[in-house]
Amino acid sequence: MSLVAVITGGGNGIGRAVAHRFGRAGMTVVIADSDHAAAEQVRGEIAESGVQADALSVDVTNAREVMALVSDVAQRFGRIDALANIAGGSLYTKRIEDFTWTEFKRVIDTNLKGTFLMCREVARLMQKQRAGRIINTASNYAVTGSAFRAPYSAAKAGIVGFTKSLALELAPDGIRVNTVAPGPTDTPRVMEKETPEARRQRWYSAIPLGRTAQPEDLAELYYFLTTPESAAITGQLFHCNGGLV
Amino acid sequence: MIAPNASEGIRGGTRKRMMRLKDKVAVITGGAQGIGRAICLSMAREGARIVVADLQCEKANGVTAELQAIGAEAIAVEVNVANEMSVKRLADQTFERFGRIDILVNDAGIYLKAPVVNKSEDDWDRTINVNLGGNFLCARAFVPAMREQKSGRIISIASSIAHTGGRQFADYAASKAAIIGFVKALARELGPEGITVNAICPGSANTDMPRRHRTEEETMARLRSTPLGHVLEPDDIAGPILFLASDAAAYITGQVYNINCGTVMI
Repeated sequence: MSLVAVITGGGNGIGRAVAHRFGRAGMTVVIADSDHAAAEQVRGEIAESGVQADALSVDVTNAREVMALVSDVAQRFGRIDALANIAGGSLYTKRIEDFTWTEFKRVIDTNLKGTFLMCREVARLMQKQRAGRIINTASNYAVTGSAFRAPYSAAKAGIVGFTKSLALELAPDGIRVNTVAPGPTDTPRVMEKETPEARRQRWYSAIPLGRTAQPEDLAELYYFLTTPESAAITGQLFHCNGGLV
Repeated sequence: MIAPNASEGIRGGTRKRMMRLKDKVAVITGGAQGIGRAICLSMAREGARIVVADLQCEKANGVTAELQAIGAEAIAVEVNVANEMSVKRLADQTFERFGRIDILVNDAGIYLKAPVVNKSEDDWDRTINVNLGGNFLCARAFVPAMREQKSGRIISIASSIAHTGGRQFADYAASKAAIIGFVKALARELGPEGITVNAICPGSANTDMPRRHRTEEETMARLRSTPLGHVLEPDDIAGPILFLASDAAAYITGQVYNINCGTVMI
């Protein structure tokens, strides 16, 4: 029986690459995204190679939707072996005094609360299975901070702290929980806002490996954290940023 | 008791498995026993050609024979990583036999347990020279070839103790923490050349090392008392090193991976 993986934010960018990587390893892939058309598109791409894949809509900040998603997956496939929480984003870039309370909360909810809700529901299932791996997504900004992205940096740092606690809590159930922290990555969302030339000038001299990441670079790390090769790893933070941080 | 290895079935897939290190040349210092031996075996299974480099010649020959028995190309080289000429000879023999180096794993290390106030200057020097100096000398010996190839992987074994410290292990902790600083600096220096440099911090593993100052019963009780309830085996450490050495980790450099069943999170 193939293993079942749920990938939030699986419709685009890093999530899409992770869905493809997991699919290539023979896992049954559930692509959960608020952008249903994008999720459906990725499902089609993966299904073409003969892998079982499903596309489901979810707003990870909505507890009821998250519960419905997890019970739907449990009903269809009976289990969840791997959860990659990738849905998130910085949403705004502006000075702290220009952030409204609503905007602040939106950034925290999208990144941190979404991770909490997904982990809570999936952990209940994994505890019954007495096995599972969860991979949350932070950012190098969790460690370095980023001017004009204070709420995002806070949410991502929050995910790192949350992950460590959850790792301790779930370790007795044989569930491993780790965080991946991507650096500058060429996702469609980022590339829309910046020309390749501007991106080169901004990053290439700062990154020791001399290039920004492709989503596939990140996907390999997420995959590694699902394999038995990482069986003794839990509660850890994994940067993937070409040496920037 | 939970055995995570047994429950973790995700690997492989529908397609034929590719050897991840096919024809790569890997030098593993301290390769004759414990974690180093596990690294040699796991890399050989993925198609790498192995140089088992160790001060303990006889044990290195033993591991080499094990590698050859599973069909791998391997040689044993006697080396004192704290001696410049000895490391140079290791490099010469590596290039003579294989003509290149793709992966350098700095695993050779020692510790001499004693309170700081009782520690001799000679013991201090020895620990620092082997654990940290070995990283420096091996980098100097092998980096020129990696630079020329515009590729290479350096993976250094530090320790959880680099983060936590350890009673009567001050020199060891200092040397291992220093490795982390060295690795980060070297990663910045060599990134533009396409060479990645990373460190691994294993927790206390099921090897001879933790047994030196404890009974078997004490050792196992201590090894089991991790959040995952899983005894850290040399293979648990070899797996992440294999990942860092493979193409899958091409974009990862300057990082420190903690492998400790959840005992230290930093």
